[in-house]
Amino acid sequence: MSGIRKNRIAKSAAALIGAAALLTGTIPALADENAVYRTVEEIQESGSVRIGVFSDKSPFGYVDEYGEYQGYDVYFARRIGEDLGVEIEYVSTEAANRIEYLQTGKVDIILANFTVTEERAEEVDFALPYMNVALGVVSPEDAVIESLDEIGEDQQVIVISGTTAETYLEKNNPEIRLQKYDAYAEAKTALENGNADAWANDNTEVIAFAIENEGFVVGIPSLGSADTIAPAVTKGNESLLNWLNEEIKALGEEAFFHQDYEETLLSTYGADYEDTLVVEGGVIAGEEEAETEA
Amino acid sequence: MDPEVMKSYLPLYRDALFLTMRIGWQGVLLALVLGLVCAAVLQLKLPFIRRIVAVYVELFRNTPLLVQLFFLYFALPRIGIRISAEVCGWVGLGLIGGAYMTETFRSGLDSIARIQTESAASLGMTRFQIFRYVVLPQAVASSIPGILANIIFLLKETSVFSTISLMDLMFTAKDLIGMYAKTLECLTLLVIFYLIMLLPVSVAGSIIERRLRYAEFGN
Repeated sequence: MSGIRKNRIAKSAAALIGAAALLTGTIPALADENAVYRTVEEIQESGSVRIGVFSDKSPFGYVDEYGEYQGYDVYFARRIGEDLGVEIEYVSTEAANRIEYLQTGKVDIILANFTVTEERAEEVDFALPYMNVALGVVSPEDAVIESLDEIGEDQQVIVISGTTAETYLEKNNPEIRLQKYDAYAEAKTALENGNADAWANDNTEVIAFAIENEGFVVGIPSLGSADTIAPAVTKGNESLLNWLNEEIKALGEEAFFHQDYEETLLSTYGADYEDTLVVEGGVIAGEEEAETEA
Repeated sequence: MDPEVMKSYLPLYRDALFLTMRIGWQGVLLALVLGLVCAAVLQLKLPFIRRIVAVYVELFRNTPLLVQLFFLYFALPRIGIRISAEVCGWVGLGLIGGAYMTETFRSGLDSIARIQTESAASLGMTRFQIFRYVVLPQAVASSIPGILANIIFLLKETSVFSTISLMDLMFTAKDLIGMYAKTLECLTLLVIFYLIMLLPVSVAGSIIERRLRYAEFGN
């Protein structure tokens, strides 16, 4: 009796493992059909373009009190829709799934404050940049952190999963204890609640946070290399990539991104940051520097 | 699929497995204790406490774990109650699990034929004795399938822990994908590690279930 029982258990375990193997075996087959992107013509034919934006990253991509997408990225997205002559379907994205959304064809373009990095450029294609960015660290006024060396063993730094700040700290400061969140809203609440000692993210983001939240200051305004932010498309989508590059160059002539800044970012950052942040026509000031550092 | 990449991720997945199991089982334990106590309160019809238990069960069965974790982790600090993420994790799991377990135990208790309690009473056993020696052992036995389903459900629910910054299996996989975009490797490992965690439970469960088949008297 017990022999039969054991046998049955062994059989069902084997069947389960077999099923798991089958499942994982079929994944590469699916992955090969990765050419899921749509060309400019296909997008125009379908009548709508799917753009991945943040919904909780004010003032770059967020949903306002009327339920409308707003922000620096969204302002640009709207113009893309106009110039393509199609409707825009916004797809709300989190930092960690921006690459996924492109690779699986869930979106045509990611316009979610996507910092250009080497690792990411292996997975997606970046168009010309439209913004500058570096990393920054914000901490409470009464315990300001002004250098990474000040962070003690028992202290924790908040990062958002899938951001450049996370990769930077994992690589360069593995001794720092990270508290990871997968959404901006939660990371900010955690910092306000005092669950950690600081928050490392794009400096634009932490500056905005310190301006909006009394009692917080940006102790480290610039960390790591100067990077750029650019739209991204699925790897190999030449058609859309070229269109975006042409678009960004053309928009440079009408100083579109300065307008964008004045409409969406001026109220947060003031005029002082305009020339630091805005990249017009895809041309970065001091390009060589940025490249050697990357 | 790149085996080297998978190998290099193994330590991270191992740590995540330990964390997930630790928090998961602490939660399951709390759920079992809560479930048993609450079901007993309902069964013995203890005045007043019985109302509290009913409210607790309805409250926690009808809100998602995600909402409960948010509340414990993000809302309570605003009124000065600060709980670490890990404690939030297992307490949250225990609370939602306790509500489910209460219902499971209760259905087990209800399944005991009335003739048994009446017979026990006629032998002069007290209400507590009847519960402890006649009803409970049989009720637990007949609740086993439901309890097991709850345990597996609770262990899988740990996948929402990422929202309170716990590096459980799910979050570890998502995090690695976000950083290095090795989606296939990460997700394959994720499936394997969930199986490592859950297969033994379900195998052990079917063994226990068969061993405890004694509770079928009088039905």
